[in-house]
Amino acid sequence: MEQTLTDADQAETITAVSIKNYSYSYPRREGRVLDGINLDIQRGELVALMGRNGAGKSTLCRSLIGVIPHSVGGTVWGEILINGLNTFSTSVASLAEHLGIVLDDPEAQLFTPMVDDEIAFGIENLCYPVEEIRESVEWAKEVVRLEGCGDREPSTLSGGQKQRLAIASALAPRPSILVLDEPTSQLDPVGTFEVFDVIYKLKTEHNMTIVISTHKSELIAEYADRIVVLHEGKVIGNGHPRAIFRNREIMKKASIHPPQVSMVADRLAEKGGVSFTEEDYPITRAELCDFLRKRGIRL
Amino acid sequence: MAMIVYHSGNSLLHRLDPRVKMILLILYTMVVFGVKSFSILGILFALVLLLWKSAGLPLSRLKKYLAYLTGMIVFLIIIQSFFLPGNINLVKPIFPEGFPILPGRGFVSLKGIVMGVLLGFRLFVLIMLMPTFIMTTTVNEMAVGMVRMGLPYKIAYLATTSINMIPSLQDEATTIMEAQKMRGFSVFEEGRFREKMKAFPALVVPLVIGAMRRAQAMGVAMDARAFGAGKSRTYRLTLKMTGSDWAVFFLMVLLAALLMGGAFILDREVSLWNRL
Ligand SMILES: Nc1ncnc2c1ncn2[C@@H]1O[C@H](COP(=O)(O)OP(=O)(O)OP(=O)(O)O)[C@@H](O)[C@H]1O
Ligand SMILES: [Mg+2]
Repeated sequence: MEQTLTDADQAETITAVSIKNYSYSYPRREGRVLDGINLDIQRGELVALMGRNGAGKSTLCRSLIGVIPHSVGGTVWGEILINGLNTFSTSVASLAEHLGIVLDDPEAQLFTPMVDDEIAFGIENLCYPVEEIRESVEWAKEVVRLEGCGDREPSTLSGGQKQRLAIASALAPRPSILVLDEPTSQLDPVGTFEVFDVIYKLKTEHNMTIVISTHKSELIAEYADRIVVLHEGKVIGNGHPRAIFRNREIMKKASIHPPQVSMVADRLAEKGGVSFTEEDYPITRAELCDFLRKRGIRL
Repeated sequence: MAMIVYHSGNSLLHRLDPRVKMILLILYTMVVFGVKSFSILGILFALVLLLWKSAGLPLSRLKKYLAYLTGMIVFLIIIQSFFLPGNINLVKPIFPEGFPILPGRGFVSLKGIVMGVLLGFRLFVLIMLMPTFIMTTTVNEMAVGMVRMGLPYKIAYLATTSINMIPSLQDEATTIMEAQKMRGFSVFEEGRFREKMKAFPALVVPLVIGAMRRAQAMGVAMDARAFGAGKSRTYRLTLKMTGSDWAVFFLMVLLAALLMGGAFILDREVSLWNRL
């Protein structure tokens, strides 16, 4: 089924996510957890949020759907526009049609006893008619490859299936933006691959804008268009994965592990006298093989 | 350990409209409360047992319920026999007439024993009645049923998500006890009753904190998916009363009326042991 995620706004060329001088502090807690964030995300981009624990990744994700500050409270400075809508003056419910989110707590976000009900929950709240609910549920199940699991109990699914269900639930209102907060942190390699496979499909086949917070450097090198590095609530790096992974200073400050391939490249540069340019510094396995082949080195 | 979980199946009880089940549950709860006759309670007991069997609910559960209730039933019998005055006392009053507190009480009356047994029986039938609804109805059916009967959907969801959280709370309690056991804290396994009571906060405090944190996280997750967007919402599940739903409904209401009538006629039975 070929179906693109178009809503009225998508036809226009508004920036998908536009964050302007955004700061935030939690209620009953001193200090700004996010501090002067400026960030634009274009339509169709896949942006990775990286940074050490406590850097503010989850806080930023929650700000994008508006549960910060609408449900959580706290103090906000600056503004965030989602498809041109201000998160502060727009209700979370209205934002949910533009932006779907997979939260970082896998236990808390599946709260109905049946897969189909879970997926339908959001669009029921948005008062979709029954026929459309059924259609969207089937569609979302197909996108995340959970066909045939409709009447399963979510707690009986595998970790990868649970996360894909969470994605399907966020997708049901057919938003143009999807935010995923550490969707694979509790998954084994197989589950992680299943989830990234779906994310890549959403980007390529459905032209969705995707923001994903994760520590998985290898997969980010493979799939992301851009990495944004957060450190103590500030953006300290924003650029192509190659530029970020090559920047030792940022990597060290944010304690991000570079992809293994890059570590091999660094060793080659150090011990083997090979030098890499800005363009051919390898971050994926294919790139490294390519580089070596060009130099006449066969593996 | 899970006591209240949806038990999947395709029995008549499973397929019955949740609204019918809810109304009948309330009606029969009132009947059980209103009846003082052992024979009618016996009939009700047999009826509920039949429902359990027909819905394929695990009858082994009943033994567990009885085990849980034994203490309560014994307590009821003791209290009743001590304080309910009757004509036949097995023991002379502990507190003599004219005693400042409870004058003339503290006997073991035969009537009290019978009354205690009745209350215990009633409690057991009542506890048996709940699962015929809760274990045969999905949480979603309950929610939609309540909304269709006019309850605001936020309240319906509050009620149903609470029910939905019970199994995971039970899991969490087990996890906490396991964790405590690993650190050499085994009161819940082998301790005496008093020790168990003393150690209770060690289990309840983390459980309550965990539940609160989970409820909060769940609230955020629900908000993020547009919960509370409007005054009403739509449902994937559509409910429609079929002919058999109506038939079951009227038959069961009629039966309830007959049982109440029977209890009225059998008033003589009650007055018989009332004379004890
Ligand atoms: N509900 C809250 N109330 C108060 N402070 C909070 C709350 N949630 C997070 N924080 C604080 O805000 C800061 C940023 O937390 P956040 O969860 O956004 O980080 P993160 O980058 O997602 O980290 P992780 O990689 O561990 O998920 C931390 O110092 C954290 O302690
Ligand atoms: Mg986080």
